[in-house]
Amino acid sequence: MKKKRLLLTGLMGSALALSGCAGFQTSNNDESTVNEDGKVVIDFWTFWGSEIRRPVIEQIIADFNESQDEIEVKHTYLPFGDIWTKELASIAAGDPPDVVINDINTTALRGQEKQAMNLSEFLEEDDISERFYPELWNATLHEGDSYGIPFNTDTRVLFYNKDAFEDAGLDPEKPPATWAELEEYAAKLDVKNGDDYERIGFYPRWGIDFDVWMLNAGGQNYFDENNNVQIDTASNLETLEWLKTWQTKYGDDVINAFKAQIDSQQGNPFFNGSLAMYAITPTFYTQIRDYAEELNFGVAPLPERESGSGNTSWGGGFVAEIPEGAANPEASYEFIKYLTDVDAQEYWAVQNFDNVANIEAAENAAASDEFTEDGSMVYQMAVDNMEHTLLTPVPVIAPDFTSYINPNVEEFFLGSMTAEEALAKSQADVENLVDNNSQ
Amino acid sequence: MGKKRLTMRRKESIYGYIFVMPWIIGFLAFTAGPLVFSFMASFTNYNITSQMDFVGVDNYQGLFTEDSLFWTSLWNTLYFVAFSVPLTTIGAILLSALLNQDIPGIRFFRTLYYLPAVLSGVGVYLLWMQLLDPGTGMVNLILSWFNIDGPSWLFDPDWTKPSLILMKMWSVGGSMLLYLASMQGVSKSLYEAAEIDGANTWKQFRHITIPMITPVIFFDVVTSLIGGFQIFQEAYVMSSNGEGGPANSLLFYNLYMWRQAFENFNMGYAMAMSWILFVIVFVLTLINLKLAPRWVHYEGEEK
Amino acid sequence: MAKTTDDASYVEKKDGLKTLSGTNKNPGYFEHRGNRKNMLKLINFILLAAGSLLILSPLWWMISTSLKTMAEVMSFPPTFFPESWNWSNYIRTWEAAPFTRYTINTLTITTLVVIGNVISNSFIAYGFAKIPFRGKNVLFAIVLATMMIPGFVTLIPQYVLFAKLNWVNTYFPLVVPAFFGSAFNIFLLRQFYMTIPNELIEAAKMEGANHFYIWWKIGLPLTKPAIATVAIFSFNGAWNDFLGPLLYLNDENLYTLQIGLQVFKGQMSTQWNYLMAGSLLVLLPVILLFFFFQKYFIQGINLQSGGK
Repeated sequence: MKKKRLLLTGLMGSALALSGCAGFQTSNNDESTVNEDGKVVIDFWTFWGSEIRRPVIEQIIADFNESQDEIEVKHTYLPFGDIWTKELASIAAGDPPDVVINDINTTALRGQEKQAMNLSEFLEEDDISERFYPELWNATLHEGDSYGIPFNTDTRVLFYNKDAFEDAGLDPEKPPATWAELEEYAAKLDVKNGDDYERIGFYPRWGIDFDVWMLNAGGQNYFDENNNVQIDTASNLETLEWLKTWQTKYGDDVINAFKAQIDSQQGNPFFNGSLAMYAITPTFYTQIRDYAEELNFGVAPLPERESGSGNTSWGGGFVAEIPEGAANPEASYEFIKYLTDVDAQEYWAVQNFDNVANIEAAENAAASDEFTEDGSMVYQMAVDNMEHTLLTPVPVIAPDFTSYINPNVEEFFLGSMTAEEALAKSQADVENLVDNNSQ
Repeated sequence: MGKKRLTMRRKESIYGYIFVMPWIIGFLAFTAGPLVFSFMASFTNYNITSQMDFVGVDNYQGLFTEDSLFWTSLWNTLYFVAFSVPLTTIGAILLSALLNQDIPGIRFFRTLYYLPAVLSGVGVYLLWMQLLDPGTGMVNLILSWFNIDGPSWLFDPDWTKPSLILMKMWSVGGSMLLYLASMQGVSKSLYEAAEIDGANTWKQFRHITIPMITPVIFFDVVTSLIGGFQIFQEAYVMSSNGEGGPANSLLFYNLYMWRQAFENFNMGYAMAMSWILFVIVFVLTLINLKLAPRWVHYEGEEK
Repeated sequence: MAKTTDDASYVEKKDGLKTLSGTNKNPGYFEHRGNRKNMLKLINFILLAAGSLLILSPLWWMISTSLKTMAEVMSFPPTFFPESWNWSNYIRTWEAAPFTRYTINTLTITTLVVIGNVISNSFIAYGFAKIPFRGKNVLFAIVLATMMIPGFVTLIPQYVLFAKLNWVNTYFPLVVPAFFGSAFNIFLLRQFYMTIPNELIEAAKMEGANHFYIWWKIGLPLTKPAIATVAIFSFNGAWNDFLGPLLYLNDENLYTLQIGLQVFKGQMSTQWNYLMAGSLLVLLPVILLFFFFQKYFIQGINLQSGGK
């Protein structure tokens, strides 16, 4: 017994010693904002910790640190999602990091709440807004001032299997352009074997959901510029009814079985040809590249509701923000400028196959000879699709409005509400929310 | 004589305070401040970073009168607690009774049944999402062997909460441990005496084991009640977008509170929510404490 | 000196019990005693064995995923056995982040938390269970009440508090509170202390023992299974804690295993095989610890036979 205790104490002691006791050293609260070379230290938080992304961002940082001798950027990886809880706590404690990557659709909200710093002072001196897609730039604005600089973005496009098209007697160079064509093509592409489907032509609620189709149909967000709620619209009603016809056509069992494969990422049915068309972000290409190399596929914009209604698509993205209370905003801004300039953005785009916010960098990347033919095709499509892409920045008056829409629409798809009821209730609930919040 | 008693009692009291002193210090140093702060802030429009103005009882009033999601989330949570607490308690007691036997491989079995309690966090929830998949999941596969057409589990609002309860049942190994520890304290001689009297195994379990472990049953019921009301991460991970869907069926109290606090930054509002929850749970616990003397049997007590 | 006699008599009782229960532990499990009893044991065994299949199948899914290539993980329908057993996944997992360092860090935190929890809670709980003092019920109600406030709402003020103490980016916020007791463990141990007969304590007091001595010599030994439970729960809790280290540690050199595991979970896609391999590696010490800690349950001591 004594021996054991000794062993335990020994083990513990060595563990403590090994951990360098660094965990038990409190540093000066003034925090080393200046390092021993006299450089300003910038604390940069991202959620890019994967084998693929981490080396890329660290290369960009290293390049920046090389490029000048006044600022030293230090990168810290924090897990996606939790990174912002931690950021919030650190802002509340008055000791935030210097630059944080955050969600573009809620930037204005953080501006209003004084979590993110107002950048207009820097922009007046050195306007870089022209670098970016206007839709992205506008999403960063709250009452005319910007609170974050766009870094990357995404959009939604239609992937289709060219071999399946040929197999079904369709022209593989002519993807569906309208909802009607989408239905017609899908019917031709379906291969049924008894009750089971060997191949499904298309199902609109895999990869994207009703909100994107509503955006696509109406070309407008749930709120207009004056924060008027526009949910209960004819176009949204038509969209819901249209989506329901697909659900009826394939049936819940088939839909759930396929959805399981898509969600679990265990062999997306698009890879082996049992799903002929699939609407998703362009980065889906990297999965095809890695897991279904032989696939003969094409990409197209989302079809329009009817000819001329527009191929509107939906996108999101991330911005670089300076938290309120950060110690060296000038230096932080210097770094953000570098991060969103052509070189860094192009490097990021090419290495990660990711859409970037900087227009010139995006176009350079599309022409990059580092991509294969397929890669260039998809990337070019992603870049072109940006002109149809809308973001859905949350209105500061009702940031959680979706929780008053989604449950109703879910009830509609489950059959316990009609489309009219679901939309009317959503409209009323969100209006009520806006009213309550503006009191 | 009387005076001596008094000093004795005083001396006892001093010992008592010394023993609980570490907790009092820790409470005052680390917990009391944040608690008081959250109580005060529940009467403000505190948003964590830039505003904290007194708004009276607006938050509380808003919750009770204007917020339908508050009631939805409260209902969901009550439903979950009402089923999960009794089921997991009974499950854990039965399991520990099976594991408190002298049979081959018992150490292995104990470790095995404890495993799910060790496996925690997001990975397990993702795993269960696959197991519960209506089309391809293992649960419905097993049900189909018995000719049962399994439900859509996490996709059907009527089945989402039962899904979570099922998952909780899988990991009763944690409380099993408590019961096992407590059953070790039951004297073998009691069983032997009962055996001589001809009591069968069930009777022994019913009349010896159960009464002797009531202090731990009480503990388990109280703590899982408290824990049950705070269910959060399961719903956060297993509902689509972490929103508590489908059709708000997994919108639990803490999930809604989290959203108000960290997504809408209505921290004052969330703090008001937390104090309402506190009152509910505290009242339930008091009821439990009041009822306890009727069924909880402390061997150490004077009778 | 009388104390030692008391101590000794208690040990005697314990040994006496051991021999008593020893008769149950005869070899030849299924044949010795009456047939009925053996039948029950057999049924017991079969139930446990059948149940373990239910417990194991999800675990098998983890294990087999951890050995697959990513391409196989992505294939459909999922394969039950890996096509090839890629043990190298485990090496790659370990190298994907500085896991050795994370292990040492996690071990440091966990060890201290376990020590702190065991000492402080058994001490505090004894006071609540066995010493009468004024205001005890109110204090105990407050202890319970601290469990009922959701952690989210105290998260920010607590962080601010630790930041003011200058403890951010150290292990102090993770470790120090463990030395001041926690409601769950105090309550648990109190329940176990309550089952110790008061006569035993009174007797010791008559012999002139003070409460420290009684706690150390009677309270602790008699609640060993409960303390083992607290130790296991605390180990498990600290080992798996994610939010605490995430909030309070800024320097990646101080990170713990649970944060490390997150690198396999991307924003878009998850490296399932590495995530599962990593989760299993992180799980292993906990399993081993439990397996070997069990004897403290089996060695449980009961006084009820002797005390009455």
